[in-house]
Formats: sequence, C-alpha cells, structure tokens
Amino acid sequence: MGTLELDKPGKTVLMMGDEAIARGAIEAGVDFCASYPGTPATEVPESLARVSEHFGIYAEWSTNEIVAFEAATAASLAGLRALVAMKQNGVNVCADFLMTVNLAGINGGLVLVAGDDPSAISSSNEQDSRSYARYADLPLLEPADFQEAKDMTKWAFELSEKLGLPCILRSVTRLSHSRGNVKLGVLPEKTRKAKFEGVYISGAFAAAQHAALHQKLEQAREEFETSPFNFYVGPKKAKFVIVTSGTGWLYSREAVAALGLEAKVGILKIGTTWPLPEKFIVDHLKNVAEILIAEEVDPFLEQNIKILLAEQAKTLGPIEVYGSKSGHRPAYGEMNQDKVVQALASIRGLQLKARDEKYIEQAKELALTYIPPRMPTFCTGCPHRASLWAIKSALKLDGRDGFVTGDIGCYAIGAGPAGYFQIKTIHCMGGGIGLANGFGKLDRFAFNQPVIAVCGDSTFYHAAIPALINAQVHNSNVLMVVLDNGGTAMTGFQPHPGSGFDALGRSAPTVEIENICRGIGVEVRVRDPFEISQAVQELYDMLQEDGPRVMVFRRRCFRIEAKEKLQKKYYVDQTRCIGDDCGCARFCSRVFNCPGIIWDQEAQKAKIDEVVCTGCGVCATLCPGGAIKVRGAAS
Amino acid sequence: MEAGKGSADLEQEVLGQSLCTSCGACVNICPYIKVVRDRVAVIEPCGLTEGKCYDFCPRTPTDIAALDKSVFGKTRSDFSLGPYISIEMAQAKDSEIRCRAQYGGVISALMKYALDAGEIKNAVLTRPFDGAMMPASVVVEESRQLEECAGSNYVSSATLARMNEATRQGKNSIGLVGIPCQVMALRKMQASRHDTGAKGVKLVIGLFCTWALSYKGFSEFLKKKVDLSQVRRIDIPPPPANVMVVETTAGDIRLSLDEVRKFIKPTCSVCYDMTSEFADVSVGMVEGVEDWNTFIVRTPAGENFIDKAKKAGVINTKPLEETRLEHLKQASSIKKKRAVDAIQKRTNDKKNLLYLRLSAQEKKKFL
Repeated sequence: MGTLELDKPGKTVLMMGDEAIARGAIEAGVDFCASYPGTPATEVPESLARVSEHFGIYAEWSTNEIVAFEAATAASLAGLRALVAMKQNGVNVCADFLMTVNLAGINGGLVLVAGDDPSAISSSNEQDSRSYARYADLPLLEPADFQEAKDMTKWAFELSEKLGLPCILRSVTRLSHSRGNVKLGVLPEKTRKAKFEGVYISGAFAAAQHAALHQKLEQAREEFETSPFNFYVGPKKAKFVIVTSGTGWLYSREAVAALGLEAKVGILKIGTTWPLPEKFIVDHLKNVAEILIAEEVDPFLEQNIKILLAEQAKTLGPIEVYGSKSGHRPAYGEMNQDKVVQALASIRGLQLKARDEKYIEQAKELALTYIPPRMPTFCTGCPHRASLWAIKSALKLDGRDGFVTGDIGCYAIGAGPAGYFQIKTIHCMGGGIGLANGFGKLDRFAFNQPVIAVCGDSTFYHAAIPALINAQVHNSNVLMVVLDNGGTAMTGFQPHPGSGFDALGRSAPTVEIENICRGIGVEVRVRDPFEISQAVQELYDMLQEDGPRVMVFRRRCFRIEAKEKLQKKYYVDQTRCIGDDCGCARFCSRVFNCPGIIWDQEAQKAKIDEVVCTGCGVCATLCPGGAIKVRGAAS
Repeated sequence: MEAGKGSADLEQEVLGQSLCTSCGACVNICPYIKVVRDRVAVIEPCGLTEGKCYDFCPRTPTDIAALDKSVFGKTRSDFSLGPYISIEMAQAKDSEIRCRAQYGGVISALMKYALDAGEIKNAVLTRPFDGAMMPASVVVEESRQLEECAGSNYVSSATLARMNEATRQGKNSIGLVGIPCQVMALRKMQASRHDTGAKGVKLVIGLFCTWALSYKGFSEFLKKKVDLSQVRRIDIPPPPANVMVVETTAGDIRLSLDEVRKFIKPTCSVCYDMTSEFADVSVGMVEGVEDWNTFIVRTPAGENFIDKAKKAGVINTKPLEETRLEHLKQASSIKKKRAVDAIQKRTNDKKNLLYLRLSAQEKKKFL
C-alpha cells in the first residue's frame, strides 16, 4: 500500500507535490477525476487513477482538457466532488468552458489544478495561468509547500461547494515534481450518490449572472481574510516586507536567512491570491515603507497589490514597491533563492552576491568532463527518427523547397538536429495541421512549396480533427503525417482513444485514426516508418498529389516495446564498416545520429553501444556496408 | 577524369542545373543520395570533398577519347557513331519474341541466350510498366522473366542504382541493357580508380536514344487524359506520323509529339550520344523497317558474344544498306551538333562545354 491510501491521520510521509494534491482530493472525498496528461500536472490524475479502485473514484484520461473539464463538471452538477488537472496550455483549451461555467455555476466541489511550467522546461510556452482566475472571476489558491498542496486542495473542494464555483489551484513544476513532508489527514467516508437537479445555463441571464459572480467573489474574499494559508512572519514593526506567494515563500525565507535580515525584514505570505484578502494585507502593511514582491512568472500579485495600495493610499501612505516593474525580479523564468537574494541585496545595498557570476560556467565546464556533450535527441529505437529521415528524404527528392509544420509531442525536437531540422513551426496542439490548412490554400498566390503537417497520435485526437475536416472541405493542399507511436509518449505513455486500454490499464474500445480519416473522406495510408525506402517512396508520391492526404507512420514507441520483449542484439562488423571513406562517411553515428551508435576512436569504425541500443534495426537497413548485424544470426 | 570533387559539387553542377539523367550511377553507393521514380537528390551532404558519385556521373567531366581508350583500347575514327567493328540489321529468329518486342526483338533474344547459355548469371534491365507509367529496373536470373521486359521506354529508370544494389549483394557476371547515359556512366565506373562492383558487368547492350521524358511532367499530363493504370504500351511510330500512341485497355490515345516533347528532360538536350557509343553492342530501330533492328557490334567481347549467338541461331542478320547507314550517321551527328549548341547556349561560352571533353578533331567536327 502506498502513501496515498495510508489511513494513519497525523503520520508524516514523504510526498511528491502532485501526490500531495491527489491526497488532498482523496481527503476531500473526490469522486471523479478526468484529465489530459501534461507536465507538470500529469501525476495528479495518475495518482488518483492508481488508487481509484481502492477509493471508488472514477478516473479517465480524456481526449483533451476541455472534454475532461466538462466531464468533471458533469460530476459536480450531479452533486459529486470532481477534480480536473492539466498543464498551463490545457487551461487555454478549457478557456471557453471556463468562461461560461463560472456564470452558470456548479454543485459539488470542483477543483481545476493548473500546473504551470515556469522556464518552459517541458512546454512549448511559458504562461502564468493565474490570470485566468482574475479573468474568469474565480477563486485562486497557490500552495507554497507540500503540506499546503494537500491541505489547500482539500479546502478548495469545500470552498468550491460553498461558493458554487470551480476553484483554481495553481501549482508549478518545482512544487509538483519535488518531494517533501506531508502530515496526513483523515480519510473520509464516501456516501455521495449522483443526482442531477436544477438548471445550469449561461447566456440568457449572463449579465445578471455576472453580477452574481462578483458577489460570490466577494464572499470568497471574506473567506480568505481569515484563511490560515495567509500569514506573516518576521519582526513586529518591520519597515521592509517581502510579499510572496507559491514557491516564492520558501525562497524568500532562505534569502532572508542567507542575508541575516531576520530582524529587519518580514515576510507576508499569501496563499489565496485571487481575490486578495485585502483587509489582511492592509493590516500587515501599515507602517511599512518598502515591499518586495516575490512570485513566479507574471507580476500578478504585484499588480493586484499595487491597485490595493492605490486604493488604500490614505490609510497606508506611500509605499515603495519592488518587483518586476522596478527591475528587481524578471517576469519570466523559474524563481529561485538567488533571485530573491539578488533583489534584496540590491535594494538594501548589500555586497553579498547570491552566487559567483562564473559559478554556472564553471559548473558546466566541470560537468562536461564527466558527461559527454549531447544534443537533445530521440531515444534509441525511436520511430520518429526514421519518420523524420523519410520526410527529409521525400522533401529533398521532391525539390520544391517543401517544409514541415510541427505540433506538440516528442517529435517537436525534430526542429533541431534530432529531426534533421525539418520542423519549421511549432505552436499549440493541433497548430501544425491548422497552419498547413492555410498554407495549402496559397496556390493562387504563386505558392508552390509542398507542406507536411506532422502530428502525434494523441495530438490527432486532441486537437487535429477540426483542422483536417477543414482541409477536406476546402480541398487544401496538405499532407498530414501522423506519427503514431501508440500512446501519449512524452508524458509517460498514457493511453489515448487509439490505445485500447484505459487509465486503469483495463482493455477499452479503440477509435482508429484511419477510420476517422476515411469518415472525413481524406485519402489515408498506413505505413511502418522502419521500412524506410518504401516510406520515402510513398511519401514522395503523396507529395505529388493535390488536396488533403494523410500518411499514418505507425510504429510503437520503442521504450514500451523494449520492455515487452527481448530485443535483437546488434553489433558492427568492423571489417565491413566503411567508416570515414567515400560510400559512408560515418553516416550512422554522425548523420542518422542515433545515440545507440558510437564512434570507436581506436578502430576508426562505428560501434553499437549495447547498453542503450534497443535493437530496432533501422541503422542496419541504412548501413551502406552491410556492417550492422544481429548477434548470433547467420551471416 | 577530373577527380577531386564530391556530392556537394554533384548537387551544384548536375542536380542543381537539371543535368541529372537519373541513370542511378550515384545511387546505392552511399546512404546520402536517393532516387524515387526518376528524381535523384542528395538528401544530406556527406561532407567529403571527393566522391565516387561525382566521378561516376555521365554529366560530370567526361573525356571521350580517354573513355574510348579504356573501353576499346584505342580512340575513335568515326566521330558520328563512335568505335565499332560492324553494323548490320538483325532480328530475333523466334517470332514469338519478335511479337512481344517493339521492333526486331534482338535484345530480348540476346539476353535470353546470354542467360540460358551461362554467358551471364544476372541480367539488369528495365520492365516498361511498374504501375502508373513508371518503368522499373530489375535484376533477372532466369530467361523466362525477360518476357515482361520487352518493349520501349520513354521514361528512364535508374538502372545503375539497381545494378549497384545487385553488386553490393555480391552479384557478378552481369549483362546490362541501358540507354547511352547509363552506358557511359557504367564505363566511367569501370574505368574508375575506385573499387566498384561495376567490374562484374560482362556484357553491355546499349540502346539508341534520342530523349527521355520527365516522369512527373509527363505522367501528370497523361493523367488528365487516361487512368495511368490502364496504360499497356507506348509507341512512337516512324515519321512522318509525329504522334505518340498510348495503348490502353480502353483503346488507343494518340498524342501529338510536339505536345509530348515539352516533357523531355532538360539534360537530354546536352546529350552527345545517340547510339550508346560505349556499349559492347548497340541496338536501335531501323527507320521504315518494322521487324528489324540496327545492330552495331563495337568491342571484341561483344563480337565474340554475337558470334556465339549467331551460331546458336538466336538472331538473323543482314547487311544495312549504305543509304540507311548514312542516314544513321547523319542523325547521330545532328544530335551531337545540337548538344554542343545547347551546351554553348547554356554556358554562354564557346569554350565551356560543361561535361564534354572533346579531342581537337572532334571539336573541329562539331563546334
């Protein structure tokens, strides 16, 4: 039994931030969880799915975020407690529903976990989702540590239910993906039965509903005034106070301690960041002369506090505000202790440097003496490598300066050397085929470059279908290549509608990509990218045709395949390896560039790194010398 | 031969200038150059400054006299037809073969004999229809497989790419049927300082050729008139008809040759060789004679082989009348003259003949 199921109230356990959120939901008696995977929020629904049988929770990986949110809302409308989790980009996908469900209201507690990824470590953008709370007039909670991640989630359900509004809980990568101590609470008895009653319609009375929404928000503000998630630490009459939320709380504490400013600088930590607990903040800023706002990404807290200070100018008098506007904190990238130390030191005129300026460079240099430098690349055996080589070959053979519009998935690194620099655009999910749609209609403006839109299988279901329908209806000249590796690989191989199993690993019906294409009326072919010369030939032929076409390159992700069966062991017969000479010039290790092939400096020949090779065998089909062979096979 | 150039130069000087004949000599000797249909491309520059690809190409500098020496052991005295031992008319004795073939069926008969008699073990040649109008180069080990290779092609396939693949698999004792650019490239491969499987080609039968069509342009044009899968045979009847006849399952379509000529590969305009001058034996049509081929024996190896074939009763021969021979020489000379003119027009320089390296005598004749 894992910590999620542990029925020991008061016991302290180590938990990942996302697990703590899941445990909070469990302690709130969550009944329903629907989500679409996305870093850093993936582990919230994944954790709930893992214990769903144990706690009687319904858990699913939905086709996309808005569908997940709508499904979760349905559970709420039937009186259940529901959670939906997503990464920052998913909140954008939900926005349309978000801007109406706020007006129409909900019934059972409904919590939307927004996982933001500052510095875009695993994302296509950097985005601060907190503005959605202000935009949609919804209550926003920002956990600052692991305990709060659990406790706030539990409270978010109660608050949501009380206000009749969805509640947004914002986590960030550093909280979601690191681990800390969490004191467990009581596991509830679950008794809810689903029953739908009432009317939930946004639109007909939207203006009146909007007014009512503002009242609900005022009610939330009152709740927040006394919330234990807002508190002050530091000297009683500090003139300098750091106002902080989320991860900024722990960074600020460390920074103050590092600079020995405990006796002079106070920290006002806000957990309920929208609407602001105004009275609470004003009470703590009386007699304060300067404040530094320490928050992650946008100046969300900073701007709202500034408005509050302006409104309360008579009571508070002039207060100097330091933050991103003043240049003391970048309004982008991950927050850390150093950034707070730097800000404090510069404001206070202290000499202390957070870190020697050369530290990062020296650390990198040192690291490179242990670790060989490597560009971001596909795993050994990855089907995308073969697919992108086939695409590159077909486009080069075609010779009309064709290009690839990209999408969101592992294959996005195809924009770099891993994919031979083939992908020229990347935006949101479904953006690749959407763009290709438009390019495909530019022929009347003398546009004659062929366009290939690459799209992952999960992305296909998530966001590509409307654009494909559009291409069909408008006869747009676009070749869509679906890189079907059998699952949502980038986030940990969660199932999608084509996978044949559900969030709990049970067998499930499938919706085939090619059937969808045929239903739309688009010509579709399915090929194995590992049969590379046929793949090139067919792609080339398809490039010569007009109108919308779909090629599905189907080959399971090798990370999964390798686990399931024993793979062939390949080796390089160095007597046959052409190496540097004409006829090869290190094709496998230098150009095709799979990390499973290395250059044997001593022999000046290629060599298989048997530790990482997954035995896919594509290099053997491409080797001009026939030097890459299967161990134990007859020559 | 001018060495010292590689795939980047090939891409710039040949592919980039629409001079590629898609003979396939540069394909399947490394992983960087690929062919699909009749399109050849350097997928990624290999980074080497010298390469076989550049050396083998029929459109990179080619010294005609030096190639003569390497193939025939001497330079040519006939500047319109190249070196030869004899010129006759010939036809296959087997009327069945003649029936299937476009003209006299000599090539089918000779290849059948070569395989059956063990003169060669593998025949590399072209099957005219591999779906959608594109011919396919094939390796044949048994003579009965030759049947589907009969007939003329108006789109060229990368025969040497198929040959390179075969030699890489260790195949030797090869007989090859090719058009002039393919034969020229093959001889460059055989003469090369590089070790290549091309040395395993024992018999080269060259076809007469005036031009080839670009697959993309021609198939798109034809697609508008007929379902390509219905095409059975394509023929250009002798002048003055000036038509191309496309036989389909739904009946014949007659295309004006003037229209078809628009799709001739640009590289054909700079071609200096109509009669496959570097082959062991060259075979073509005889204008105005339907059942017979023009038949040029060029090398001692070719002569030796033909003697055996004649003794085995595979082909009938008869003399080519003097007027026909003159006519052939004239046609070949016109092609050479046109090529030189086209090249000079391209380079805008009387002395820059692109790939052609001609002897002083030859220059005198055609410049």
